[in-house]
Order: sequence, then C-alpha cells, then structure tokens
Amino acid sequence: MKLIIAKVDERVFDGDAVSVTVPGSQGEMTVLGSHEPLITTLKAGTIVIKQLADVEPIQIPIQGGMLEVRTDGTTILL
Amino acid sequence: MAGLKQIKSKIRSYEKTQTVTKAMEAVSAAKMRKAQLQALGGRPYATAALSILARLSGTSNFKNHKMVQPAHNPAALYIVITSDKGLAGSLNSGVLRKIYAEMGENTSVIAVGKKANDFFTSRNVPVTAFHSNNDKITPELIDGITLEALNRFNMGVVGTVKIAYQNFISTLEQKPAVHTMLPLSIGELQHLVEGITPTKGVFSEQASIQSPVGYSIELDSEIDVLTALTPKLVSIFVYHALLESHASEHSARMVSMKSASDKAGEMEHKLTLQFNKARQAAITREVSEIIGGMEAMAN
Repeated sequence: MKLIIAKVDERVFDGDAVSVTVPGSQGEMTVLGSHEPLITTLKAGTIVIKQLADVEPIQIPIQGGMLEVRTDGTTILL
Repeated sequence: MAGLKQIKSKIRSYEKTQTVTKAMEAVSAAKMRKAQLQALGGRPYATAALSILARLSGTSNFKNHKMVQPAHNPAALYIVITSDKGLAGSLNSGVLRKIYAEMGENTSVIAVGKKANDFFTSRNVPVTAFHSNNDKITPELIDGITLEALNRFNMGVVGTVKIAYQNFISTLEQKPAVHTMLPLSIGELQHLVEGITPTKGVFSEQASIQSPVGYSIELDSEIDVLTALTPKLVSIFVYHALLESHASEHSARMVSMKSASDKAGEMEHKLTLQFNKARQAAITREVSEIIGGMEAMAN
C-alpha cells in the first residue's frame, strides 16, 4: 500500500509499505493493504513501518496525530 | 576637468548599484523557486486533512461543534503576514491597506513581519503578538501562531479569526488575500488547497481532491477526531499563508530589483555618453587654444 506520513511542513515518509503499526487512541493497531477505510486519532508512541521482508522496519516516534486509511492509500498526519 | 571626474565617479556608483541589484535579483529568483516547491510539498497533508473534514462535515456532531458555529462575538483577530524587509514594490502596502480598510472597531492583530508590526503599532491597533518573518518557516513559528489564534478563539475573546497575506498568482502578479480561518469553513479550505498550485508557470499542475469514500470512524467519537483535526487545519492555513507570502515577497523583490538594474544600466549609458562628450569638448578646447596661441605668435 502507498503510505504517506507528513508533518505540516515536511514529508516524513512517502513510499510503499507492507504494513504500518500505529499507537491508536484506543490501543495499538496494524494496517495492512486493502484495510477498510477509517479515520482515527493517534496518541504518543512509535509508528513501525514494515517494507519488504529483508528490509529493517522503520520506527518513527510521534507525539500524537491522525490516521486516514483510504482505498488508494494511507496517510498519517503528525 | 573636475566635471569629468564627477561624471566618472557617478558612473562608478551606478555600476556598483547595478552589481548589488543584480545579485539581489538572482537570490530572490532562487528563493522564490524554493518557496514554490515547498508549497507543493505540503499538498498531501492539506489534501488528507481536507478529505477527513469533508467526510465529517455531513454529521450532526460537526454542525454543532463550536469550531464551525457562526460567530456571535463581533471581536475579530487578524493574522497579518508581511515581510521583514522592504525593497519589494507595493508588496506589503497592498496587504496592509486592504486589511486596514475592512477592519472594524473591535479588532486585534497578530503581526508576522516587521512591516505589519510597525504599521499597526503606529495606528494604535492592538498587536497581541509579533513574530519576525525570516526565510525559514520553523514549526515553532507555525505552532506559535496557531496556538495563539486557537486560544483566543476557544476562550471566546474573539469571534472570528482571519488571515491576510499576499497571494502568489505568478511571478509578475500577486494579490492580497484575506481568508476566514475560524470558525472553520470547508469552502475556504477547499479554496486554499486548490490555490496552492499557481494557475500559471512551471508548477501549475492541478490535482483533484479525493472525494472521500465511506469511512468507519473506529473506536473514536467523531468529536475527538474533529477536535484533533482543528489545530491541524489551522496550522495548514498558517503554513500556506506563510509560504504564499514568501513566494510573493521574493518574486516581487526579483521584479523590482530587475527594474532597478535596468534603470541603473540606462543611467550608466547616459552618463558614459555625457562623459565622452565632455572629454571631447575639453580636448577640442585645448587644441583650439594651442592653435590660437601659435597663430598669435606667427602674426
């Protein structure tokens, strides 16, 4: 799936990912490709992006944010 | 001969002026391109925030949220963005005049840029906060303005928050723009996001805004999402207003520096002509004096 993680003034991550795990306000959740569309707020924690199996997952610490899953991609606003 | 020396030193001073204005023109051109690229880079964020807002806008929670309720309090807060430095034609005065004309009695100002601060201070309009407007747009600057505006709106000190800046249309054209930031309106936001790409020039590619599909708002209530979304929308407004004003500032400065360079070149040419004429006149005078002297001796 196509994943964009953006702050208002910069793009933190922009590319393809196999899965992304986020600290949702009601608990940790993992979004895979073809997840149903949803919006949720995020609390402080760490985002873990898994790309291909042989690539080390990327970890991004956040202070809070918002997750939007669409059919054509996933966007996280920090 | 004193005349010749004076002209020569004038020519030299015009040459120096031209060197400076040409350098400033080149610097502004580079900065303008950077500001435009930066504006495009911020688009995904703005588009995503807008599509979330558009999805929420139909719900009753949204319509009853205090961030979208029409204002009862007549007090207004203006965020006015100008540059710190001049030498950019009518860039700042355009924005300041427009704002000053439409200001009511009960208004206060957050001034961004020295020009706005000086203008409103000298006219006794209360300036609640002043930020200088450097080349670098820092997250602290965006957050500072956003929080100040949200605080005053949430506490009920002001009923509306508006933002004014010079909107970048093309290198040769900038127009003062005023948007109502709070209470939130989808129309204004959509207008802003569409306006990020200039209508003309290299970056004038329009991407359509995704119409949202049926979301499920998982585990959260819509109010939580809306409450979290509002500061983000406000900071998008602030960020893009800052970028637009930077792009405008640099292109206005580029254009006015170009005309200054042209004018300096023209003056230099005129003075060179004058210098040559004066020199020739001096030579002719000397020659005729010598000939006159010789003839007087021969007689």
